[in-house]
Amino acid sequence: MATLIDKRPATIDVASLVEPDRTHRSIYTDPAIFDLEMDRIWHRTWIYVGHESQVKEPGEYYATTIGRQPVLLTRSSDGKFYVLHNRCAHKGALLVGDHCGKAKELRCSYHGWRFDFDGKLLGIPLEHGYDDTRFDRTGPEADMPRVRAESYRGFVFASLNPDVPDLKSWLGGVASSIDNMVDRAPEGALEVAGGVMRYEHDSNWKFFIENLNDMMHPMVTHQSSSLTARVVAKKELPPDAPVPSAIEIIAPFTESYSFFDDMGVHAFDYGHGYSGGKTSIHAKYSDIPEYNRRMDAAYGTERVAEIMKVNRHNTIFYPSATIKGAVQTMRVVRPVAVDKTIIESWTFRLKGAPDEMLQRSILYCNLINSSANLVGPDDQENYRRQQVGLHSTGEDWVTMHRDFGKDEEIEPGHFYARGSSDISFRNQYRAWKKYMTEGARQDVR
Amino acid sequence: MSDELEFHHRVSQFLFHEVRLIDERRWAEWEALFLEDGVYWAPATPGQPDPVNHVSLIFENQLLRKVRIARFASPAAPSLQPFPRTAHLVTNVMVDRRDAKAVAVSSRFLMAEYRRDAQRFYAGAYSYDLAPSGDSFRIRQKKVDLINCEGPIESSSVWF
Ligand code: FES
Ligand SMILES: [Fe+2]
Repeated sequence: MATLIDKRPATIDVASLVEPDRTHRSIYTDPAIFDLEMDRIWHRTWIYVGHESQVKEPGEYYATTIGRQPVLLTRSSDGKFYVLHNRCAHKGALLVGDHCGKAKELRCSYHGWRFDFDGKLLGIPLEHGYDDTRFDRTGPEADMPRVRAESYRGFVFASLNPDVPDLKSWLGGVASSIDNMVDRAPEGALEVAGGVMRYEHDSNWKFFIENLNDMMHPMVTHQSSSLTARVVAKKELPPDAPVPSAIEIIAPFTESYSFFDDMGVHAFDYGHGYSGGKTSIHAKYSDIPEYNRRMDAAYGTERVAEIMKVNRHNTIFYPSATIKGAVQTMRVVRPVAVDKTIIESWTFRLKGAPDEMLQRSILYCNLINSSANLVGPDDQENYRRQQVGLHSTGEDWVTMHRDFGKDEEIEPGHFYARGSSDISFRNQYRAWKKYMTEGARQDVR
Repeated sequence: MSDELEFHHRVSQFLFHEVRLIDERRWAEWEALFLEDGVYWAPATPGQPDPVNHVSLIFENQLLRKVRIARFASPAAPSLQPFPRTAHLVTNVMVDRRDAKAVAVSSRFLMAEYRRDAQRFYAGAYSYDLAPSGDSFRIRQKKVDLINCEGPIESSSVWF
């Protein structure tokens, strides 16, 4: 097989890099492919920006990125949220240089142009200098450009491509994961709380997003933390002692292959999917009685049972966001370069729930997501090993063959397979190929 | 003055000893410096008021420290092969408060870590709550405020 990347041909046939059951290694290692992904995936579909609760009050803003482009989530005095290009209409400087805050107006630090939180120009120093010029102070070129944005139950996605389908249709079968996370709040709403943790991977963004529903890795990758935690807890704690929450959280990572198989994986269009459903590694956490009491009071026991019987592990909103609804945590993907990715880890408060619920989400992130914990470093090391290993020209193809051809179509567009299947990878690359080839020249360099 | 000097010397020696045990991977001895209910805490944001209502880089009680130590001995931890080498430098030691039961100490630190052919640096402040114990001390809490605690951080496994 020709080695596409090392021979540096004049063009890359993007469509040839993904087959239904295997991917070409260059999609992880070639900077030209990364550039294309920015244009054709990250700048073309719905990307998670932030949660509405991050901008509760008019004047609050939160700065982030869509692919390579700096954007702002703001709350305006009309009560609505906006996603704006974080770019001054004068000479392009970032309007906001920090992460988040609250202000009276957005004033550029360079020459003092001022903007409202809906992006409208408020004023220019010595404004009459533009009299009788082509620059129209009332036209769109004088404002901060808006990005198309929609919220699904508080989760704000935005797209640099105005022609995307509406958010709800795009979410399709995974909207129900957001529903279930929100329904777990006695007041039916979430808010960001507990801070954010950001960690840096020296590897391609796709390794992270593939890994989330890779049910064949936990028992191997996390043996040194999860299995060890079981052993140490058994040795250190009296036999009748209640299992500490930390151990409840770490131990299930080394459940058996059959446990993960039974969790199962669901796949939908656009690369979305989730693992778990009837059960997951979060299913056996101890009850927090006050929470149950407030849920029962809010919804009635029957409805609560319905909500709680949905127990999903990771849900992927391909390519940018992933949630664990059952523990109210979220990880957001921010690709930086072909071999560099920043992941943000967020926690949510279930409105109306006792503090213990948020505290458990926080404990979960400390133990599992923190870059200085016992679990995350081994995932990151394995991504890095892939990043380096796939420079080998010994073989060009990466396998996704496990259980190929055995996916079950439960309903139109909703596929299911046991946990050990490669269905999640195949589904992501089906979407990847579509994004990368549709409506664009297929050979680029 | 001489009592204060002597006390300052003992506190400094304790701090130096504590990080030397990390650099020399004498994990059991290091763990034994903590009181049974002692905690190790590395917040994830500057001025973080508590470790319970906000995420932390590390917040470990005795059980979790012991899990980490046991993990260090595991042959199945890819991120620890080869095991990172560290050098912790401790300086600017100040005794902030002192009575018969509790001593509060702050210092600055620099940790160099060598791993995967690359050297990294972590810097920040240590704050200790110590309990006097004979000629020496036990740790009620060691808090590590990294100057880049809220920035994107690469993975690390050894205590700062
Ligand atoms: S670049 Fe913003 S005012 Fe000039
Ligand atoms: Fe993992």
